[in-house]
Amino acid sequence: MNVSVSEAIAAAIRTVLHDTGREAKAIEPTMLLSADLGLDSLDLAQTIVLLERSLGIDPFRSASGARPAIRSVADLVAVYTQALTQS
Amino acid sequence: MTTPAYAAISDAPAEDRLAYAITEIARQSPESIAIVRSAGGDGRWAITYSTLAAQVTALEAALDATRPVGIVARAKRIESLVVIAAACGRQHVPVAFLADDSRDLSGALRDWIEVDDSLELPPSAGRPRLEFEAISPHVVVATSGTSGPPKLVEHSWDSLLAAARLAEQWHGLGWLLAYDSTRWAGIQVWLQALLTGGRLVVPASRDPDTVARALAEESVAVLPATPTLLRRLLASADRSVLEKAALGRITLGGEAADGPLLSDAQAVFPQAKITQVYATTELGEVFRVADGRPGFPAAWLGKSLPGGASLATRRDGELLVQLSRDTAEVGTGDLVERRGDRYEFTGRRSDVIVVGGAKVFPKRVEEMLRSVAGIAEARVYGLPSGITGELVAAEIVLTEPLPASASPESIRAAALAICRESLEPHSVPRILDIVKRIATTAAGKTPRRPISAGRS
Repeated sequence: MNVSVSEAIAAAIRTVLHDTGREAKAIEPTMLLSADLGLDSLDLAQTIVLLERSLGIDPFRSASGARPAIRSVADLVAVYTQALTQS
Repeated sequence: MTTPAYAAISDAPAEDRLAYAITEIARQSPESIAIVRSAGGDGRWAITYSTLAAQVTALEAALDATRPVGIVARAKRIESLVVIAAACGRQHVPVAFLADDSRDLSGALRDWIEVDDSLELPPSAGRPRLEFEAISPHVVVATSGTSGPPKLVEHSWDSLLAAARLAEQWHGLGWLLAYDSTRWAGIQVWLQALLTGGRLVVPASRDPDTVARALAEESVAVLPATPTLLRRLLASADRSVLEKAALGRITLGGEAADGPLLSDAQAVFPQAKITQVYATTELGEVFRVADGRPGFPAAWLGKSLPGGASLATRRDGELLVQLSRDTAEVGTGDLVERRGDRYEFTGRRSDVIVVGGAKVFPKRVEEMLRSVAGIAEARVYGLPSGITGELVAAEIVLTEPLPASASPESIRAAALAICRESLEPHSVPRILDIVKRIATTAAGKTPRRPISAGRS
């Protein structure tokens, strides 16, 4: 797993939790975004904008067509790692 | 200043009126100052009515000799724009004022002649000529592009001058030009000042301290501004300088003003009568409100207003205006909402941010942010999102100095907490950046779309 990508994603999620008045916790790759971290679609949208700032890409805006379900932190890491290698 | 000759200015045909006023005032008081440029900065520069009148006469002679089909004013200096307008009007030559962002629209004005600050006409050999009586003189102005790309709008001199106040109480006042001089709002200000023997004061820059110095040093009596410009002036300019200004009147337009801004302005300028003008480039002035409260009285809906316009609302809250009985009802793009005995503006339809299908009115969120101690200015805009369509983003400018025991981080956290408590979840800003200053549009308004990548 790409360390800098997963760090950026963990940092973004911690910011989202902090900004929305929730407790920031240790982010593990296996955690489910919704069930474990309590992230809703607005939280995910914010995470993606924050990642566009830190990583310079938004894989959810540019590409069209089918996309694998993003359920866990690891799924998110995979999408960004792939998008970064393609760009 | 009122003499029979001066009173006759309003009797002159609309297209003659500016040239007539300048020459008449030059005759009565040749040394009185017409325009002050670079006010409040180094290089202050002034021009008298007599010098202005001489330039108008010279350009009129050149126009009369060549009879161009139209003039595109390419001048950068305010006094050149005034001379071009006055001379073209009285010589029945159509004239266009194009702001910087609408320069590429000049292709629509084929065969029109460009005139710059030299105020000279190029040799006219082979150009089409039109007789004095053959054309209706008019003025072409570009819209500000608040809601879409700028477009050219043709106005008669009558509609351009419809809002000008010529009564004696308006004579000989100092007017601050805070607007772009080639846009509708700016043109209205310089026409008003020069038609009434006033002094047009153009600040050296839009920097709040410079504007404050211009107001105080040039004894400006009337300040026409957008709420955004006034808010910045109140938030950032040196208060001791501002309080030296002897403003008799503040005329707000271009955007809706909110209650806190109106009361702040009244506190800093206790002598000033504050008027909110509702006007658009297409419709001109529709109505004014002068009771110090935001919005307009609910009782106005469905009634004929002074000036003949009548107001209605569409089901979605868009304000509709019918200028007179024999004109069509026009959608304004502005959304209003009934609050007690008032209709208040909630924002422009095109400003609405749609987050996951839910509408967010940026103006309401901005007002919420500005209510937080330590926040001087706020701008709310939509960021595109692949997940929710758009996401609410905001920029805030902190007060200087910060409130006691506050830090930028604590103010940011307080702002988010207040928004969470008071707004629906989708309206809470998800991106909240602290910035040094908030950019304004060329028309002096708060932009509602991301600027470049949305970051500074």
